[in-house]
Amino acid sequence: MERRQSVISRILFLFLPLILLLLFILFPFYWTFVTSIKPEMELYGKTVTYWPRNVTFDAYKSLFVDYNFVKPMINSFIVAATTTVVTLTVATLASYAFSRYRFKGRKALMVMFLTNNMFPTVLLLIPLYAIMRKLGILYTPIALVLAYTTFTIPFSVWLLNGYLNDLPMSLEEAALVDGANRPQAFIRIVLPILIPCLVATGVYIFMNAWNEYTFAVMFTNEKSRTIPVSLRNLIGQLGVQWDLLTAGGIITIIPVCVMFFFAQKRLVEGLTAGAVKG
Amino acid sequence: MKKSKKLIVLAILSALCLLIVPGCKKGDDKSGTGGEGKTIEITHWYWADNSDYSAKMQEIAKTFNETNGKNIKVKAEEYPWDGGGYSETLFTAAMGGGGPDTAAWKLTSTPLFVANKLLAELDGFINNWADKDDIEENLWDVMKQAGGSDKIYVMPWNTQVLYVYYRPSMFKAAGVSVPKTYEEFLEACKKLTRDTDGDGKIDVYGFGMRGAKGGQEPWGSFIWARGGNFTDFTTPEAIQGMQDFIDLFKKGYTPPTAPTDGFNEIIANFKSGKTAMTIHHIGSSSGMVETFGDDVDAFVFPAGKGQWTSMGDTENVIFESCKNKEAAFEWVSYLATGKGQEEWCITTGNVPVSKRVQAMDFFQNNKFMKVSIEGAPYAGIFPILDTTTEWINTVWPNTVAAALTGQKTAAQAMEELQKGLYGDKK
Repeated sequence: MERRQSVISRILFLFLPLILLLLFILFPFYWTFVTSIKPEMELYGKTVTYWPRNVTFDAYKSLFVDYNFVKPMINSFIVAATTTVVTLTVATLASYAFSRYRFKGRKALMVMFLTNNMFPTVLLLIPLYAIMRKLGILYTPIALVLAYTTFTIPFSVWLLNGYLNDLPMSLEEAALVDGANRPQAFIRIVLPILIPCLVATGVYIFMNAWNEYTFAVMFTNEKSRTIPVSLRNLIGQLGVQWDLLTAGGIITIIPVCVMFFFAQKRLVEGLTAGAVKG
Repeated sequence: MKKSKKLIVLAILSALCLLIVPGCKKGDDKSGTGGEGKTIEITHWYWADNSDYSAKMQEIAKTFNETNGKNIKVKAEEYPWDGGGYSETLFTAAMGGGGPDTAAWKLTSTPLFVANKLLAELDGFINNWADKDDIEENLWDVMKQAGGSDKIYVMPWNTQVLYVYYRPSMFKAAGVSVPKTYEEFLEACKKLTRDTDGDGKIDVYGFGMRGAKGGQEPWGSFIWARGGNFTDFTTPEAIQGMQDFIDLFKKGYTPPTAPTDGFNEIIANFKSGKTAMTIHHIGSSSGMVETFGDDVDAFVFPAGKGQWTSMGDTENVIFESCKNKEAAFEWVSYLATGKGQEEWCITTGNVPVSKRVQAMDFFQNNKFMKVSIEGAPYAGIFPILDTTTEWINTVWPNTVAAALTGQKTAAQAMEELQKGLYGDKK
């Protein structure tokens, strides 16, 4: 009897809310997908269909054949991947220095890093545009990488600094006692432990660069367009090309989903799990 | 030990190189300026409502490049409309010293760009332009009005003119002919409001009124028809126009939902046969024909003491930073009266600004296009001020809703509209 009651209460208070929550979260994705495979007649028809009567992949075909969506995808990938690599390299070294060394101006620099992120991006748009233009890198992927790293590096330094501060000094000290120098201790001891944090930070940076629009529309042209700008081109003044837009949306989230799939294991790994053992 | 040190140094150096080396590249992104009498490059920014329009613009640029005979090469680059964010992108680029040579345009952005001296004055070019008279005189006035001076900064391209859609079958059943005057229009609204099945309830309303956002455009026609205008809403003529608008609702010649009816509602009401007339532009004509076949037609909002109808606009501008303004003018004039005008208007279904193109069979054989062209000489815009957006989005819908529901008199409402647009100054 009691067992039955507990099963009912589990269903009522755990599974039912969970299912509702999942529906709430997943329905927009489902609707995006369904819209992308609906023929035009059904898409703009009077009756709403929750699964298309005639499934068509015309929108995907048109997206790649007529709209040349591969180009913005490649551009987005180059920008996002470069931003991630540059940010992680710089931020890891910087945060290690901030965490392990005490030098003049350390606090001031950290505060400056924090305030950088407080600036509204719109405010920096015109100056950054002028700088890029003067440097001659406007409308190249470098311009976007530079603009993104301006914001991702300070944030990542703070994030990694937090992880590093929590990392026991005893690990490195043990390495130093065993004859390693600082760089060796960093590469062989700190870096491997830091990998889950690097993956987490990297995913954040990648997604940030992958989805960003405000800078992308300013610093790119037809040749260097990234995905968010290309997709936004499908929303006109008087109409929206829902089929292409949703097909583009589905294609866009695939790389992010794949990345999460592989990064998931690293992401959930404990920060210093099993690091300090007798 | 040495190996790891080297690795770190290498990592730092490669990161720095990636950031700095491209910076050493000198040069300007601004499109070519012709150099020694060679190809003159013009960068043109535009937005497109769908991929067909985008492809058409590329095609127009290509044809222009092949046929202009002056070595002008236009590079058309598409930018997202982004709910009007397009103009902000243009502004940021122009303020940052970059941006295009020419761009597709919306009149509402003109004051901001003119105030910052970003647009090239076109009077000199236009006065010496052979096709100047091919464009309706009224349009030049609208262009001047947008810039807030007697100078022209904007080159007309295409428009959408509001007119009255009506159902000929309903007119016939009610014994009404197409109104020629404003008085006849008001009378038609009354006569067309009918109980068609004899159950004591109104089935068809004479006029599909738009009381929600965007309704200021058809509303403006009432104000002007009584002899009012938009510089002073508090004149007796303007107040009378507002009174007519209120009366149509109060006397039951419009659906009872009129104060909250927006674009979708007025179109749905008209398509379902609930209203006999409504006001919109050519953009909805294909849907109307799909629903009614031949049983839908249109007429220009008729004249009373005055005549006005609202105009949706798309233009082109030349930027002050453009180094080859003659070449740029060649391109924007090709879009205004040349082959570019024909091609674009045929594809988009928008109303051409060139009289020559308007006279073409393609446009004359389309009854809705014909009515749009007839209305073009009376088409205008609302004053473009800092307050205009707020006035359109909030002040107008709220004030008119209050007036329609009897919370405000016509005079009070007009006073409020005046204040909302012009502040306390008269």
